[in-house]
Amino acid sequence: MNRVPLKDSLFMGFCAVFLLVTKGAMRWHLGISGHAMFLTVFFLMLARGCVASRLAATVTGLLAGAGAVALGMGHGGPVLLLNFLLPGATIDAGARIAPGLFTSYARCALVGATAGATKFAASAAMDLMVGMDRAIIVQHALLESVAALLFGIAGGLCVPPVLRRLEAHGVIQARAGGA
Amino acid sequence: MSLPSLDREWLGADRCADGQRAATVSAGPALSASLLLSVLAITLGDPRVLFALSAANVALAACFRTDLRLVKHAARVLAWQTAVLGALYWLRFGLAEGTWPALRTSWQLFLAFTPGMIVMHGTRRADLERTLARALPHRAAFVLTVCLKFVPMLLAEIRTIYEAQVLRGARILPRDLARPRNWPDVIHCLVVPAVVRGLALAEHISLAARARDFGLHPRRTCWPGS
Repeated sequence: MNRVPLKDSLFMGFCAVFLLVTKGAMRWHLGISGHAMFLTVFFLMLARGCVASRLAATVTGLLAGAGAVALGMGHGGPVLLLNFLLPGATIDAGARIAPGLFTSYARCALVGATAGATKFAASAAMDLMVGMDRAIIVQHALLESVAALLFGIAGGLCVPPVLRRLEAHGVIQARAGGA
Repeated sequence: MSLPSLDREWLGADRCADGQRAATVSAGPALSASLLLSVLAITLGDPRVLFALSAANVALAACFRTDLRLVKHAARVLAWQTAVLGALYWLRFGLAEGTWPALRTSWQLFLAFTPGMIVMHGTRRADLERTLARALPHRAAFVLTVCLKFVPMLLAEIRTIYEAQVLRGARILPRDLARPRNWPDVIHCLVVPAVVRGLALAEHISLAARARDFGLHPRRTCWPGS
């Protein structure tokens, strides 16, 4: 964090806190699986798109995950960190691999879907810790990750118009690949 | 928000400790207590526990001499949240089965956020930073403290933006959002200006910190205090 300008560190911190606040406020237990991934992907991609750091989404995810673990949000304990860290790392990797990521709806949807699909690992890790049968772990994690994937796509699709408007207002600089 | 007004806020945060709203509890135990209360509210949904936690929150508010305006604001948030959750639960589960879960969830959410709000409003920023700096690198502690301290201000700015956009005719009222075709308006009229404000606030805070020689010495990030 020391190499990142203070302004960018603060913005990543704001994104992490907003992610936690909105996720906390959305704990409505309506039985819709994976809906939290919409906010996770949106805020992590926003942080990556606004901050010129290769690890912006990962750091934001780490901050939000640490806060979520400390607050005991969700039922995963320390595994909860993976729910934020893995999508963040996926978004950073996507921004590095895909040129012009944040200008394209299709690429944002793809990266959002991939970030959402990381729910599979977090869900499987939790089930494995509980001692579930391997076959049931795969089925359960698949169900969880499909819903998260769909909400991840929705979260990713919200990012390009926001970043385009920010670039148009000169708030952030136009960057090829958003890197 | 202009830099001078931010400057006043910056200094004002420290001044509050010497004024009427000074907390009698130091930041470390206060943070631990608020964290514990929040975790209990999230993990336990038993009504008896929630009653006990409500009493604990009242005691915390008395301990921090919480401003009446904050209490009124919290009550408004609770009322609005209960109305939204009630409507959603009634639609999903019906009136008979949805009422109690909606009330309990709203109560839990309220109790999860209130302790942090009380402690953040009643603790000096420097105290908070010194406490966090014991566990985190100095710069990370500074960033975390500033984010926690300034989020209520940013939320207030977002509320102002929302009200201004509604007055301009933006279709972002709750009844407008029942129609999916109005959803893009939320992004254009609320999310984009809110992100712009967030970036501007981050820039102003970093400028104010640099003006106070933040980062001049690698290890010192805040005034040691007494």
